[in-house]
Amino acid sequence: MSAVPKPAVYHDQPPDSSPTSPGVVAVTGQWTIYQLQGLIAFISIAVAALWQSCRLLTWRRTVRAEFFYQCHQVGTRALSFIVLTALIAGLGIVFETLYWLKVFGQSEFAGSLLVVVLIREIAPLLVALIVIGRSVSVIMIELGIMQADGQIRMLDAQGIDPFVYLLVPRVMAVSVCMFSLTIVFTVVTLAAGFVAVNALSGTNLTVYDFIFEILSAMGPADFTTIPVTTLAIGFVTGLIGCTTGLSFSGFASDVHDLLPAGIMKSVIATLLISFLVTLLI
Amino acid sequence: MIKGIEQRRVVLSFNDVSLMTDPDGRSESVDLSLNLLGGELSLIRIERQRQGTAFGDACAGLTLPHKGQVYFLGKEWSQLPPDTANALRGRIGRVFARGNWLVHLSLFENVLLPQLHHTRRPVSELRDEAVMLAEKFGLPGVPVGHSNDSLPVDLQRAACVRAFLGQPVFILIEEQNIGCFKEMMPNLINAIREARNWGAAVMWLTSDKFIWRDQSIPASRRYRLAGRKLMEVIR
Repeated sequence: MSAVPKPAVYHDQPPDSSPTSPGVVAVTGQWTIYQLQGLIAFISIAVAALWQSCRLLTWRRTVRAEFFYQCHQVGTRALSFIVLTALIAGLGIVFETLYWLKVFGQSEFAGSLLVVVLIREIAPLLVALIVIGRSVSVIMIELGIMQADGQIRMLDAQGIDPFVYLLVPRVMAVSVCMFSLTIVFTVVTLAAGFVAVNALSGTNLTVYDFIFEILSAMGPADFTTIPVTTLAIGFVTGLIGCTTGLSFSGFASDVHDLLPAGIMKSVIATLLISFLVTLLI
Repeated sequence: MIKGIEQRRVVLSFNDVSLMTDPDGRSESVDLSLNLLGGELSLIRIERQRQGTAFGDACAGLTLPHKGQVYFLGKEWSQLPPDTANALRGRIGRVFARGNWLVHLSLFENVLLPQLHHTRRPVSELRDEAVMLAEKFGLPGVPVGHSNDSLPVDLQRAACVRAFLGQPVFILIEEQNIGCFKEMMPNLINAIREARNWGAAVMWLTSDKFIWRDQSIPASRRYRLAGRKLMEVIR
C-alpha cells in the first residue's frame, strides 16, 4: 500500500500558508513612505526656488515682468476685497473687544488682546484663506492648463526654463502680497473698529491713545511674527499652487480636479505654519 | 545691429542616434545620422505629427537619445549644464505643431518673448524687426490680440514671425495646420531663402507628401523618416 503523498512544504513559508492581501501595517507603511517622499521632494523644490530667487541671473526682464504682473493679479486686484473683509472684521472683532472690555472695566487689556488675537493670529489666517481661494487656486488652474496644452514644453524648447519663468515669480509674488495684504488688513480692521467703537458706544478714545495702546502691547516677538508668518505662508502656499499645477498630467478639461487637493494642502500648510511660528517665537 | 553668422559650419549633427520617435513608445528610430550645415534646408517627411515633435525635441536637446550623440554648434546636448543648454536653445527658432502660445500673454508679447528673455536688445528694435517680418509673412503688423481671438492662419504666420525673429542659427519648422501652411507657402519660402543667406540652417518637418515633393521649395536635401530609418531621397 503506497503512502499518502504529503503536500510540499517550502522552507521560507509556514505550513499551510496561502497568499494574503497586504495587512494594515503594510498599507500604513506604504502611505507613510509615499507622503515622506512627497515632502522631501517638496522641500527640494522649495530650496531650489529660494536659490533661484537669490540669483541675479534669474531676474532678467521677462521674469521681472512676470513678477510684477503676478503682484498685480494677487495683490492689487485683491485689495478691494481685503479692505471690505477688513471693515467687516473690524466691526466684528475690534468693536466687540473694545466694547465688552470697557463694560467689564478691563480696557487696559484691549491692546494686548488685539495684538495676540487679531494681529498675530486672525489677520494672517484670514488673508491667507482669501489669497488661497482667490489667487493660489487660479495659479493651479493656469499652470495645469499650460501643462496640458503643451505650453510648458514650448517654453522649454525656446530655452526659457519654466521653473525660473513661471514658478519663481509666482511664489515670490504670493509671498510679498501675502505680507502686504496682511498689513493692509490689520490697519483697516483696527481703523474700522476704532471708528465703530467711538461712534456706537460713545467712547472718547483718541487716535493717539488707540495707536499707543496697540504699539505698546507689541514686543519684538510680535514685530517678528507678522513678517515671518505671512512670508512663510505666502511662499509655501504659492509653491503648493505652482507644483500642483505643473505636475498635472491629464486633459485640460479635467484641470479643475486639482483644486480640492491643492486647496486642502494649502490650508493645512497655513494652519501648521501659523501654529509653529506661534510656538517658536 | 544684427551680426552676420559664419556660413557652412555644421549647425546640427546626429551621430548614429537611436531615439524614440513615437511618444507612445511603440517605435524607435535607429541609426539616424545627418549633418545640417549653415545655409542648408533639410526637408524631412514624417509619418505622423507627433513623430515630428519627438524628432524636433531631440534636435533641441529636450530628449536625449538612447544611443549616439546629437551635437548643436559642436556641443553635445547631454554634456551641457542646464543654463548653457537653455542659452543655446535661445538660438533656435521653432514653429511648433502644438502649444504655440502662452494664453496669459498677448500675441505680440508671445512673439517677442524668446528674444526678450535671451538678449538685451531694446524692445523698440525687436518690435521694428517683428513688424518687418510680419509684413513678409503677409500680416499688416504683429497681432496684438490674444491667441483665442485670432484666426488659425494669422496664428500660423505669427508663429513664423517668432521663429525667424533675431536671425536664429537654426530654424525648425513643424506644421500645426497644413491648410494654413499651404496658404502662406510663397512667404515662407522667401523667408527661408533669406534665412539661408544669413547662414541659418533650416529643418522642415512635414507629413504632407505634396509639400515634400514640391520642387519650388529650395531644399538642399530631402529625407524620409519612415519606420525605423532616416533615408535621404535624391530627386
